[in-house]
Amino acid sequence: MEGFYNFLSSNAIFIVMIIVLIVWIGIFTFLLNLDKRLKGIEKEINGEKK
Amino acid sequence: MVWKIFLFLLLAFVSIAGISFPIVENPQTWYQFPLIPGLEENAKIIFFHVPTAWLTVIGFLVSTIFSIKYLRKKNLDDDAKSYVAAQLGLIFCILATVTGAVWAKFAWGSYWSWDPRQTSIFALMLIYGAWFALRSSIESEDKRATLSAVYSILAFVTVPFFVFIMPRIMDGLHPGSADDKFTPSGGPVVNFKMNSSMLLIFFLSLIAFTILFYWMWNVGYRSLLIKEKLNKKIIRG
Repeated sequence: MEGFYNFLSSNAIFIVMIIVLIVWIGIFTFLLNLDKRLKGIEKEINGEKK
Repeated sequence: MVWKIFLFLLLAFVSIAGISFPIVENPQTWYQFPLIPGLEENAKIIFFHVPTAWLTVIGFLVSTIFSIKYLRKKNLDDDAKSYVAAQLGLIFCILATVTGAVWAKFAWGSYWSWDPRQTSIFALMLIYGAWFALRSSIESEDKRATLSAVYSILAFVTVPFFVFIMPRIMDGLHPGSADDKFTPSGGPVVNFKMNSSMLLIFFLSLIAFTILFYWMWNVGYRSLLIKEKLNKKIIRG
């Protein structure tokens, strides 16, 4: 663990990479949830029509 | 669902490769990028900045296609699709301008130099900004859709000129300007020569961002369609 920490502190670009990956995971999860919620609403509206 | 997982992995890979692959003078292995004199690490912007500019064009193109579709069939769903595509196009246009300006500070010395590329993207932002002003000023749905469809088609005529032609035939600072090929070391700043692995990551990035655009556009117009449906239901009582 300490070796990994030392590696990160001497190679700052990998910290940037990890942060960008975390941001991407956040955006992706948000979009996935939004898509699911929309599907639910679409089903509800179309279901009411029938 | 499969394509969403594919998108997740692809953009994660592009982020990992685009940020962490080292830039060396003589690349020996596939995960090394070539050194571009004058740019060094700044060259990595290409994996994130160019796709935003690419999505600007895609957004405006999709908007125009659905504008034409609307004028032919007069279906308001096409207007919603065109609107969301242009919205995303403008968002990515602003992102391309801002990321480019930050990069320019370190590559050219100042945030804004009225380089032909910067001038053209600024003009594009004004043209499409006016489109949203036009839309918000008309209350009647059909009139708004028809007028903005016509404006969208006219506006798109300028896009290839501003993005692909004008900045390439004029001398400028941006890589790809007309004077790039006249000097042995490239243009006034750099000659942006990529090796095959850099090109591969670049094209993967373009593909990933295009899929991301499709997803954002899809979610965007579906929410608008739901809103319209609910509005109609409320009016009908």
